[in-house]
Formats: sequence, structure tokens, C-alpha cells
Amino acid sequence: MAINFNQVGFTYQLNTPFATQGLHDVNFTMPEGKFTAVIGHTGSGKSTMVQHLDGLVIPTAGEITIAEQRIVPTTKPKELNKMRAHVGLVFQFPEAQLFEQTVLKDVMFGPKNFGKTATEAEAAAKRALRTVGMAEKYDERSPFELSGGQMRRVAIAGVLAMEPDLLILDEPTAGLDPAGQEELMTLFARLQKERHLTVVLITHQMEYVAQYADHVVVFEGGTVVKEGTPAKIFDDVAWLQEKQLDVPIAKQFADKLATKGVTLDTVLDIDALADQLAEQLGGSAHVH
Amino acid sequence: MFTNMIIGRYMPGNSWIHRLDARTKLILSVAFIFVVFFANNVAGYVVAIAFTLLSILLTGLGVGVFIRGVRPLMFLMFITTLLQLFFVQTGDVLWHWAFLTITTDGVTNSIAVFVRFMLIIMFSTILTLTTQPLAVADAMESLLQPLKKVGFPVAELALMLSIALRFVPTLMDEAESIMNAQRARGVEFNEGNIISRIKAFVPLLIPLFINAIKRAIELGDAMEARGYRGGDNRTKYRVLTWQKQDTIAVIGFIVFTVLLIATKWL
Ligand SMILES: Nc1ncnc2c1ncn2[C@@H]1O[C@H](COP(=O)(O)OP(=O)(O)OP(=O)(O)O)[C@@H](O)[C@H]1O
Ligand SMILES: [Mg+2]
Repeated sequence: MAINFNQVGFTYQLNTPFATQGLHDVNFTMPEGKFTAVIGHTGSGKSTMVQHLDGLVIPTAGEITIAEQRIVPTTKPKELNKMRAHVGLVFQFPEAQLFEQTVLKDVMFGPKNFGKTATEAEAAAKRALRTVGMAEKYDERSPFELSGGQMRRVAIAGVLAMEPDLLILDEPTAGLDPAGQEELMTLFARLQKERHLTVVLITHQMEYVAQYADHVVVFEGGTVVKEGTPAKIFDDVAWLQEKQLDVPIAKQFADKLATKGVTLDTVLDIDALADQLAEQLGGSAHVH
Repeated sequence: MFTNMIIGRYMPGNSWIHRLDARTKLILSVAFIFVVFFANNVAGYVVAIAFTLLSILLTGLGVGVFIRGVRPLMFLMFITTLLQLFFVQTGDVLWHWAFLTITTDGVTNSIAVFVRFMLIIMFSTILTLTTQPLAVADAMESLLQPLKKVGFPVAELALMLSIALRFVPTLMDEAESIMNAQRARGVEFNEGNIISRIKAFVPLLIPLFINAIKRAIELGDAMEARGYRGGDNRTKYRVLTWQKQDTIAVIGFIVFTVLLIATKWL
């Protein structure tokens, strides 16, 4: 599902003394069937923006288009129930949403709400659980007896089981061990390719952005300050540092080599960097 | 949804009312609930409304905030008023249909109940809007001191109260985010019939309770780890001090009470 934001603004608790601006004058386009990364400093409005993508909040200004659905400030939340069936949103710390007696039931909750029968929901739930790497023996366990990382996987499975066309991930790997992070990121990238999903990923880890993203949107102070391919975003190192964003390791390394007189094509991921170096040194391309 | 509630919120400020001692505000708010019952004619209500308005103006927060504040309770007030309207059977009959009767006394009573309800809510809102919740807990502790003599656990009660107050906004935020997560999974709050509405709250309440209990255990451990021991001889970081303006406020309130009682003879 292609996504377009046109001068979107959102104020929390509009018309109350506690009104705070979450977004203002946000413009961007996220291509359909691609992997888009959303980056930006903490409090820059990323989570606020993704809640709009699932119709959980209605913009207080501007216009949003998600596939055929147009959302403007006068849109009623009810009108968006149908769209929500095609959107999967994994919140920051999604394990807080677990509530059922068993892992399987919890994962079945979403598909059932969107009109699947119990058998269909169970099949979808089992598939999703295996996809995130939860073995069958956990199906009948209480979600509250699991470790933090396992709870995270179950919560993510709960969203995948809805088989969304648009998958939104709000810092899905925050607080997991490095191996677990890597595993989940590979999973999201694989799902995106296999199912041609539109993926929107919020992350603070630039390595993942460099490695997986087709498109990047940069937030700052409640608005979008830059948008483009990873190569374009990571090109201006001074600008990134000014925005307190990290530069991918491969890029840092290549830039250091450049000061020593070794020139390489723009590279963002380590494997591509290694290949180029091997070639310059006269060796064969390394095996991934 | 929850974040639009004004009731129970503190709004920082530096008005005359903000600077009053929390104990003064607490005592006067409780006293107001009783005193307002002295009003039983138009003049009485005019005095009570005027006093409430004056107090609201002194908070410097604007009347609009208070009006929005009572909005969530409108439903409750409406029901109470309706009950009065139909259950008071004395006075002249104005309207009659089947078993429903509206009488003149019913009308005056329901208006009185409505106004009283409004005034009491507004006056209590002054306390909560202008006083930090922890100051309210301190004030309560200080006012309950005499009960210590009879073995009442005043310090523990005050601690419980201040922790509870401290976590109200946290729980509200958490409720909001869990609600959003469940809406994303297809739960429709506030839609459908009463049974499906109640059922919709299960996926909200269970995680909310579980998180609250987890947090309570963690907080208890953290306090114990830092050597907290309740009760005797604890000194306070924030000390309540009685000032001239507190005396003025109390005198003002007494004048109001006397005036209100005096309207009886008008
Ligand atoms: N429920 C809320 N009520 C009022 N203001 C809010 C609320 N949620 C967020 N905000 C404000 O909106 C702004 C953007 O917050 P948001 O959560 O979108 O940031 P973020 O980019 O997701 O940050 P992080 O990387 O820390 O998750 C912040 O200034 C925040 O204080
Ligand atoms: Mg966020």
C-alpha cells in the first residue's frame, strides 16, 4: 500500500490546556511493496506518525492517503476499521498487549477480530508463531510465563497472523540480545521480499537502515527533514552528525580509507565493502 | 480518550490559589461539600455560585478549563437530575403519563441537585488543578496526625495514597497505549452493544493489571533496597507552611458560610 502525507499536522489533546504538538507540516511518500525506514532523534514524532498509518489517530491538519483510503481531519475513526484489517502495527514494546490464557489464543486474537473463523485463525496463528521461531511446545503455555524476548516474538506473531499488506514496526528489536535482533530483522526483510509487503520500520540502528531499507524518511522536531534512498541520506556525514544520527560502520570505514587515498564506490553494508576491498587487493569476491 | 480528562490533573501555575497551603485547600474543599447544603433558595445559590466563580477566577486558569472538566461527568449528573425529577412526588403536578409524574417540587429539587453537584465538582477541581497530588497526600497525612495516637497507620496510608496518586497518569498513558495496540488488532472500543463493549475491555484490563502488579513489586523492591522504612521520624523534603494568605482564605470561607446561612432569612 502506497502512503502519502500531505502537510499533515497532529496535536495531542487538541482544544485542551494540555495540547502538545506531535507533528506539523509532514510531507513524504512511501513506495508500495518497498522497505521504508523511519529514523530520527527520540521525541521527533516517529511513533505519532505511524499511529496515523493504522488510523488509530486522525490528523488534525492536512491529508493522508493510504492505498485508496483518504484520511483528513473530518474522517470518522469508524470509517477506518476496514483499512485496519490490512495494516499490521507492531508497537514499541508490544509485549504489553498480551492478555490471553495461552500463546496460541493470543496470536489468534487479531485474525478472529478481523473476521477469520476459528480454524482459519488457528492456522494463521500457528504459521505466524513458527515464522517468528516459537516452537510448537509453547503454543499452550501462558504468555506471561515466557521470557521477555519470547513475549516479544509472540506479540509480533500476533500482528503477522493478521497477514497484513502493510507491516509497521516501531523499534521491534529494542531491548533484545544482538542475535535476536539480527534474527528478527532478517525475518522482516525476508517477509517483505516474499510477500511483497510494504514495510515501515522505525529504528535507531543505522546498520539495519543501510542494509535493508529501500527508502528512508528522517524526522526531526515533529516534521520530516529529509527523504530519499539510504545512499542519499548517508551521503552527508556532517548533516547526520548535526542531527545526532549514526553513520553506518561500512560508510565510516570507507570514508577513513578515502582520507588515506583508497577510493571506493559508495558502500553502505559491510559485505559490499569487503567485496570492493577484496577486488582492489586482487583477491576473489568473498563468499557471503 | 483518557488523556482528555481534566479531573485529577494538576496544572502548574503561580496564582494566589496555587500558592495556598495544601491543607487549607483540602479542608476548605471538604468543608464546601457540607456548607453548600445551606443554600436552599435562589439567593443562597447566587452566593454559592458567586463564591465558586471568584475562587475559579483566582486560580488564573480560566473558566473554560473547569467547564471542560465537568463534561465527562455530565452523564452522571444528568441521571441524578432525572431521578430527582421523577421520584419527588410532592408539590403540584405539572405533567403526568402512565406511572411518570413531574411535580413542581421535583423540578426545583432537580435544579438544586444539579447546581449543587456542579458546584461541588468545580470546587474539588480547584483543589486538584492547583495542588500537586503529592502535596495533597502530605496535607492529608498532616491533618490525620492526631489519629496516630489511637494506633492508626497514618504514615503508611499517606505513602499508599501518594504512590497511588503518582501512578494515576502513568496508568492512564499505559491504558491509552494498550488500547491502541488492541485497536490495531481489531478491537473496537465504544462500538456495538453493551456486551461487546464490556468484552472489549478484557484485553485492556488484563495487561493493565499485570503491568501494575509487576510495577508495584518492582517499586517495593527498589524502596526496600534503598533502606526505606515507613513511619516514625521521617523528615520531609517538602514542608507545608501556613502563611498569612491561608488565614485570609479561611476567613474568606467563613464569611462566605455566614453569608450563605444568612440567605435563609431573605
Ligand atoms: N500521548 C501523548 N500525549 C501528549 N504528547 C505526546 C504523547 N505521545 C507523544 N507525545 C509528544 O509528541 C512528540 C513526539 O513523540 P513520539 O512518541 O512520536 O516520538 P518518537 O519519535 O517516537 O520518539 P522515540 O524514538 O523516543 O520513540 C513528543 O514531543 C512527545 O512528548
Ligand atoms: Mg517512538
